Amino acid sequence: MTVPTRYRAAPATDLIVRALDDITLIYHRPSSQTHMVASPVPEILDALRTTPLTAPLPEREGPGVGSERSEPPAHATQTPAQILTTLSTHFDLGDPATARPVIAAHLEEMVALGLIHRA
Amino acid sequence: MRHSIALTIGPASFRIGSAWPAPIAQLAHLYRAYPTPPEGIADFTVRLEPSKPWRRHIRPSIHITGDHGLADAAPMALAHGLLAAEMGMNLQMALGWRRHLLLHASCVEKDGRALVMTGESGSGKSTLAAQLGERGWRLMGDEFALLDLHSGQIFAFPRLISLKNAAISVMEAEAAPDRFGPLLRATAKGDIRHLSPRADAVARMAEGAMPALLLFPRYGFAPEIRTVGQGEVFMRLTQASTNYTALGEPGFTALTRFVQTVPAHAIDFPSGEDAIALVEQLWAEAR
Repeated sequence: MTVPTRYRAAPATDLIVRALDDITLIYHRPSSQTHMVASPVPEILDALRTTPLTAPLPEREGPGVGSERSEPPAHATQTPAQILTTLSTHFDLGDPATARPVIAAHLEEMVALGLIHRA
Repeated sequence: MRHSIALTIGPASFRIGSAWPAPIAQLAHLYRAYPTPPEGIADFTVRLEPSKPWRRHIRPSIHITGDHGLADAAPMALAHGLLAAEMGMNLQMALGWRRHLLLHASCVEKDGRALVMTGESGSGKSTLAAQLGERGWRLMGDEFALLDLHSGQIFAFPRLISLKNAAISVMEAEAAPDRFGPLLRATAKGDIRHLSPRADAVARMAEGAMPALLLFPRYGFAPEIRTVGQGEVFMRLTQASTNYTALGEPGFTALTRFVQTVPAHAIDFPSGEDAIALVEQLWAEAR
C-alpha cells in the first residue's frame, strides 16, 4: 500500500483570507495573486490551519490528541483522509467514497496555487 | 514642444505638449479654472507629435506619446487633437498612477459621501454622472475614481467629461455653452464633445469622500434594481481597475474593505430621467 500524501497549510503570514458574503478571497503574498474560492476550499484550508494535529497518524484515524511528538512546525501535516474526517465533523459531506476524490482534487489545486504544500 | 500647458487635475498633474497650437488653446479654454502644478513640476507628460515629421503641415495626423505609451496607439486626425490630449492623459493615469487604487468608474458626491458608478463603455455611467453633476451633486469624475489605500476615501479626478453621441444633446440642454469644447465628428467612438465640470466641482477637487453606494448602471433596458453579491462586485472592480495587480497587498486590502462596506446594486434604465429617479431612491435607502 502506498503511503498517502501529506499536506501542510502555507505559513499564516503568506495568506490573507477575507470572507465575503458569497465567496472567500485569499491573497497569496509570495505571488501577489488574489484567489476567489468557494466551499470547500476555505474549509479545507481552515482544517489544515487550525487542527491541533502534531503527529502523523495512521490513515483512517481521526485527528489525534495527546500526541507524543515534539514541537510541531507552524502547521501540522495531514493526509486527505484526516482532512476528510475533520471536515465531516463540521459539514455533511455525504458518502465518504464520493467525497474522498473530490477533496483530493481540491488539495492538488490548492498546492498548485501555493495555498498549501505537500509535506 | 512648440506649444504646451500644465494642469492639475485632482491629485495628478500633467504637462501637455503639442506640435500644433489648436489642441493647447482648446485645453487652455476648457481647463481655465484648473490650477497649474506647484512649481511647474508635473507627474506626467503627454506629447502630441506628428506621426511623420513632414505631416505637421501636410494632412496633419497626431501621434500620442508620453511617459507611458502604447506601441500600437493609432495616429489621430489633427481635428481630434483635443481628444488625443484627453486620451493621452487617461493613458498616463491608467498605466502610471500608483498613489490610489484606480477604478474605471464615474463618481459624484453629496453631503460628503460618494456614489461610484462603474460599467463598460456605453453603460451610461458617464452621462449619468454628468447629469447628476448639474443637479445638486458634485461631479468627482466621469472616467476614474481614485480609492485611497489608507483612508478608504474616494478622491476626484475631474477631467473634462467626454460626451458621446446622444449624450451630447442631453448635456447641451443642461450646461452653459461656454463649458463645451468643439464637436468632434466621426471619431473611433462616434461624435464626441467635451464638457468642463462646474466651477464648484473644480474648486473642491482635492476633497475626498467616503464611498456610500456603488452602482452598475446599464442603459437601454426596462427599469430594474438588482442586488449584486460581494464576490461579483469584487471581480468586476478588479476588472475595472487598471492598477489593482500592480498595487499588490495594499490594493487587496483597500478593495476588500470597499466591497465589504459599500452596498452595491445593478440598475437598468431606459432613459436618463429614469436613471436619476433610481439613483435618488437608492441613495435615500443607503443613508
